[in-house]
Amino acid sequence: MRIGTLKETYIADAALFDSRTQKLWLAVGAALLVLFPFMASDYWLYLACLVSINVASATGLNILTGYTGLVSLGQAAFMGLGAYTVAILETKVGTPFVLNLLAGGLVAMLGGIVVGIPSLRVKGLYLAIATIAASFIAHFIFANWKFTGGTGGLSVPPAKLFGMALDTSFRLYWLIVPVTILMLLGAANLFRTRVGRAFIAIRDRDISAEVLGIPLLRYKLLSFGLSSFYAGVAGGLWAYFFRVVTPESFPLLMSIFFLAAIIVGGMGSILGGILGAVFMTMVPELLKLVVDLMPGGSELTVFLSPVRTVIFGLLIIGFLVFEPHGLAEVWRRVRRFFHLWPFRN
Amino acid sequence: MDTQRTSFQRRQLLLGAAGAAALTSPLSVLAQGAEEIVIGGSIPLTGVFAFAGVGINAGMGDYVKMLNDAGGIKGRKVKYVPEDTGYKVDVSVAAFKKITSQNKVNLYYGDSTGFSKTINPELDRNGHILMAGASFATELNDPKKYPNQFLVGPDYTEMFGILLKHIAKEKPGAKVAFVYSDSEFGRDPIESSEAMAKKLGLSVPIKIMTPAGSVDVSGEVIKLRRAAPDYTIFHGYILAPIPEFITQGKQQGMTSKWMGTFWTMDSSTVMKMGDAADGFMGVMPYRYYYDTEKAPMLEKIRALRPEYQSTAYIQGFLAAMLFTESAKRCLDAGKPLTGPNLKAALNSIKDFDTGGLIGVPITISGNSIPVGRVYRADMKAQKMVAASDWIKL
Repeated sequence: MRIGTLKETYIADAALFDSRTQKLWLAVGAALLVLFPFMASDYWLYLACLVSINVASATGLNILTGYTGLVSLGQAAFMGLGAYTVAILETKVGTPFVLNLLAGGLVAMLGGIVVGIPSLRVKGLYLAIATIAASFIAHFIFANWKFTGGTGGLSVPPAKLFGMALDTSFRLYWLIVPVTILMLLGAANLFRTRVGRAFIAIRDRDISAEVLGIPLLRYKLLSFGLSSFYAGVAGGLWAYFFRVVTPESFPLLMSIFFLAAIIVGGMGSILGGILGAVFMTMVPELLKLVVDLMPGGSELTVFLSPVRTVIFGLLIIGFLVFEPHGLAEVWRRVRRFFHLWPFRN
Repeated sequence: MDTQRTSFQRRQLLLGAAGAAALTSPLSVLAQGAEEIVIGGSIPLTGVFAFAGVGINAGMGDYVKMLNDAGGIKGRKVKYVPEDTGYKVDVSVAAFKKITSQNKVNLYYGDSTGFSKTINPELDRNGHILMAGASFATELNDPKKYPNQFLVGPDYTEMFGILLKHIAKEKPGAKVAFVYSDSEFGRDPIESSEAMAKKLGLSVPIKIMTPAGSVDVSGEVIKLRRAAPDYTIFHGYILAPIPEFITQGKQQGMTSKWMGTFWTMDSSTVMKMGDAADGFMGVMPYRYYYDTEKAPMLEKIRALRPEYQSTAYIQGFLAAMLFTESAKRCLDAGKPLTGPNLKAALNSIKDFDTGGLIGVPITISGNSIPVGRVYRADMKAQKMVAASDWIKL
């Protein structure tokens, strides 16, 4: 039972993890992440990598939409920029994967900054439309530029670490999950800095933020840039993971997927981005496992497949109606319950 | 408090047990009889391609059932394990990983070009799987690049080739227009087919690319009318905007004959075009469910399923037939079921009788089966009728 946390310094107040219990659980979580690849089958490792990539990209979108209040439907296009950069560098230049990933992030960042320019004039749905336009332009470039392999796209050789090809989910896990954790730590720390707090101020009231001395131009573009950097790196990881990048790999629907993930998970919360991405990726798979467990064989699978997608849709609507603050809030409530457990709070 | 604590401990225990059960059961590779030959399938039972996926699934399932009822392959039963993909590449790969983790898979059906390309390195690495799928992409028809895959029919360029050959025979020197969608699927055969048309003495006065989901095509129809083609081939669509093109074209006095490729050519799809479909032609590598020509396998299918079955069903059925034929040839030769052995067995198929699903004996020397026939819509009979003989490339 824990009734409060005493904080005696500003540093303690700003710490990411404030209690011993929290640190203990984090250590348990970290240990599980390390042990997981040795226990799981290829299927679960594949899903872990996919979830991890989605978490990285959703966190990027959360910086922009959840924390800065700028709605974007261009996340998939920025991932595409990162993925293509990695694919081109890997196939045509042959630079090490760390450099490629960074370059993917930077190219996407530049793209994000350019796309973010209209955000100085337009907000909300209008900005969303402007970012959709960006994703169509990106698609056009990917499909028509000889350098990007046209509609057939590019095949990506596996990333290599000390001569070892990272070509299985097991090996890629050790690249994708640590990079995602680094990015998550980066994002969590960002909101302890002046920059992060400026983003939040812009989200809450941009005019007031400007009055307080926050240059909107610089910070809005910075938010776009950082968000796209995350998308670019996630896209780069995606390219190494799927090994084929085509213009159809990053459709508009994918951007909607990430927006849905942060809404379901909880906007403006790092944990929300994680939970949302996990929910959106894993729930359809878990529903399939439930269908598999039912007796009835393949005939039932044919019948239940559409039902499964309806249930997934209903779950999303259910969360929006009953918990508009997202899964992160559900998580917080569960935590609060255990803070005072076994007493009621 | 004691009661509360006890109940919590019990709950914890139950949760722990449930969690452990949920985690470990799919994690472990399920023990299975070494006798079974497994066909896995990433099948789009939901999503935009579900119209075909349901048919493919039924076709594969039916053939496997027929085969098992007849004793399987050399006494070994065949097991078909499908998984829904929603026609999304990442979900298809997840299905592949799931099925291959839980079964010893030797044969696999993929649902899209994207999946076939994505899973190819994994197939090469795995070395135990021969794969076919719903894709007819020209790129996949390359045994060097895709050594463990094959197409259950002609690739898109070959489909165009069959149509162009028919046109060249019917009207030498004809003008042929290509109308295609701005997608990988749509653009696939265009460049290579233009060259083929020239080789056959045909001309391609216009190529029109439309956005994949376009509805208003009036501007494009005007361009098409100006080019005055004798034939117009649509590719990269299922249905829309083909009926719009034909209706508006006919209204503007065009005399072109209209043609499509495999995914447009299912009987139910063509009939949905209504009046516009009268005389609509296209390439079909298989016989239709209701064809009256002698086809013992079609008769079996009709006895099993009295209602119409789509061409996607026939495609799935034939895929399962070719899969199991390859496995049979491998076992006959006493070779283990590996990807290269299965592919070599597939490539040994020469003048093979498909029970009339394809009207002529087939030979698979590479990654495709370059055979097809031109069918024409007869709206009065609400059926597709043969407009040419079987054409081999």
